[in-house]
Amino acid sequence: MQVFLQNWIYLIASVSLIGVGLYIVLTKENIFRIIVGLNIIESGTNLFMIAIAWHPKAVMPIYTATDHLAVNGKVIAADPLPQSLVLTAIVIGLGTTALALAIGVKIFEKYGTLDVRKIKEAEK
Amino acid sequence: MKNDTPKVFKSIFALFVVAIFMIGLFYAFVSMPKGWGVNVNNRVSRLYILKNVRTATRLLDSGKFFAKGMKPLRAEVPYKPIKFKKTANLEDGAANVVTSIVVDYRGFDTLGEVTVLFLAASGVMMLLFGKRVKPKRKKTEPSLIMYVGTRIAFAVIFLFGIYIFVHGHLTPGGGFPGGAVIASGILGLFLGRNGYTPNHAGLKVFESLSGIAFVIIGLIGLFSVKSFLANFLPTGIIGNLYSAGFISLIYIAIGMKVGSELAAVVDSMIGDTKEEWS
Repeated sequence: MQVFLQNWIYLIASVSLIGVGLYIVLTKENIFRIIVGLNIIESGTNLFMIAIAWHPKAVMPIYTATDHLAVNGKVIAADPLPQSLVLTAIVIGLGTTALALAIGVKIFEKYGTLDVRKIKEAEK
Repeated sequence: MKNDTPKVFKSIFALFVVAIFMIGLFYAFVSMPKGWGVNVNNRVSRLYILKNVRTATRLLDSGKFFAKGMKPLRAEVPYKPIKFKKTANLEDGAANVVTSIVVDYRGFDTLGEVTVLFLAASGVMMLLFGKRVKPKRKKTEPSLIMYVGTRIAFAVIFLFGIYIFVHGHLTPGGGFPGGAVIASGILGLFLGRNGYTPNHAGLKVFESLSGIAFVIIGLIGLFSVKSFLANFLPTGIIGNLYSAGFISLIYIAIGMKVGSELAAVVDSMIGDTKEEWS
């Protein structure tokens, strides 16, 4: 039961983070809130990929922690490939968030608002 | 969905879409093979071509998976246990397996990642450049304790960042976290004194030089080992500081590049702040 809970709590947390972020992106009108929602989706996705690679008896994939990452041919370390993909995703998420915030600043300077509807009305 | 649709319908539609996504993700997680169910001797990478380990194992056992000339690798490449601080001359001598994937096996991907970060940083600088509004600062200057404290803390934080990216192949960390730590130290300097600006030309030169260093290390691999970003240095004993070949060199370049880039982003975002927003 404990093993079951340990593995599933990350799944539930990551999927609900993705759900919360998706709901924010679909319903909110403020550009800043949409960017925050995208960030929440990003962290949920990262947690999901890490949770796929992890299992309750896993050790970290570093040889300092243990001499053997595999015992009798069975891997006991967490899968390192999704972790490296997440390392890439975190950095790119940081860059895209900074760029989106800069574009948001420029939108505010032009229209004086961050509301998507008011920007659409001002365009007409 | 039109503009005058009631908000309740929009929320219900959004919840519907969210529910579909969540069920799909749950199904993806449940149907994924877990880590402890995979045998190293089965050569995971080859089995994953079929995207389904169970089918691939069945085909392997019945002898249909490989073509006539090919032999299954599972008998001929047995797994050899690796001992910390004893095993020498591995294919990639990094103790941190994630680092060896990021920098060595997927090094070209990391070069692309650094390029994306560079494009994002230059995009931020380009967008926020232009009419630099000299912000009317509030009367409250940061106190002397803040000024001196951030300058002392900057030295410690800088050293810690360097430690993180030099030890990237031994401990958790690497060039990207180390660069972020250095940039946070520079952010502290911004908070410590009004009107602080880093040396822009120095940041740009630093960033360009470290980016060029990354490519030059890759080109040395191309000319000496006949493959771009190949490891051209001896890998040494696993767990030593001087091991893992070129990984620490590349991580030093990445750390300096990410640190100067993020510092430039912080500078362009702080320098353009107007008084009426705060």
